[in-house]
Amino acid sequence: MTGPQADHQTVPQYVYGVTRADAAPPNGLTGLDDLPVRVVAHGRIAALSSDLPSGRPLGERADLMAHQRVLQTLVDAGTPVLPFRFGAALADADAVRGELLENNADRLTAALDRVDGRVAVRVKATYEEDAVLREVIEDDPEIAELSARLRAVPEDAADAVHFDRVRLGEMIVQVLRDRRERDGTRLLSALAPFAESAVAHEPVREEDVVDASFLVGEAQRDGFQKAVDDLVEENRDRIRLRLVGPLPPYDFVPEGG
Amino acid sequence: MTGPIAQQTSGTSYVQNGGGGRGTSGLADVVDLILEKGLVIDVYARVALVGIEILTVDVRIVVASVDTYLRFAQAVNRLDIAHDGTAQGLPQVVQGMQESGAKSKTKGVLSGAQERLKETFGGDSDAKTKQPARRRSAKKQEEEDDQ
Repeated sequence: MTGPQADHQTVPQYVYGVTRADAAPPNGLTGLDDLPVRVVAHGRIAALSSDLPSGRPLGERADLMAHQRVLQTLVDAGTPVLPFRFGAALADADAVRGELLENNADRLTAALDRVDGRVAVRVKATYEEDAVLREVIEDDPEIAELSARLRAVPEDAADAVHFDRVRLGEMIVQVLRDRRERDGTRLLSALAPFAESAVAHEPVREEDVVDASFLVGEAQRDGFQKAVDDLVEENRDRIRLRLVGPLPPYDFVPEGG
Repeated sequence: MTGPIAQQTSGTSYVQNGGGGRGTSGLADVVDLILEKGLVIDVYARVALVGIEILTVDVRIVVASVDTYLRFAQAVNRLDIAHDGTAQGLPQVVQGMQESGAKSKTKGVLSGAQERLKETFGGDSDAKTKQPARRRSAKKQEEEDDQ
């Protein structure tokens, strides 16, 4: 939309996402390297793109922030948008219009319809470490016994019991995994009824309970929020819940072909 | 405590907006999605003639198991002295607070390995890898071998 015509006709384009052609991102929206974001439209859909910075590899922290910022700006305005994975680029604006939009108009439109009017949110639940470790010790005599024995070992003799400490930690991690299985299932099934779809991510840290994205319909929003609040209340002092969003619906776009 | 799903704090859960210019926590909450989810351009276009080099951050946490085990062993060790009959004295309480306030919070923070990979978009869309894992590992290897 901005920038000299001659330029973006031939300059490689970085693509942030696809939205409706009538979407109007705020003036002055910038992407990578603070380059202006333009709307390249075809029919009823449009791509958000900017010139591709040249002469350097992409992937700096600022690049990731810029990618997210462009998409988040539309989400915050309530505009449906299909986020591209970081690193999407096409040869020039014509390729964006033709290869991307024109050739895929039907499926992109269908994908936009699926996210329109919904919000994508992410729920992360993490154990309060001390609380859950207390539970583990109380519930498992073997862990309690080993823990007590190791606690009695003076600091300067700690090396001598190195492998006992590793074993203690290993037993704790095993118990935590079982517990996570139970708690995770419980949390997910409490929230799932209030979302159109849910995508659970593999928890990455031992103390993580749940990491899941939900696509929540307009009519479900209050119910979803209430369900989260209830879980916070029920699990107070033992599980910390965070609700992040609305986010660009990265988890709710078609995968593969 | 109900309300719109946006910028609300309630109890131990807090709702925040994602990413965009809001500092470390914002990006940390979405960085894996940005790199691993979303539409993949290769699927939608036969990409011609754009060679772009992408530097990606592998957000998967790299923590050796033993380190994790030792961390938990240490955590229970400082946990509750009362358990074996000893009352928790003030020095231990203070120490416990300091540890949980600072040390334990910084552990388990994303420790990502940064890796560099060169991604060249050729003209043959069929040959494109669609799996992010392959992009990051196998493909990287191929590219390095080429050099």
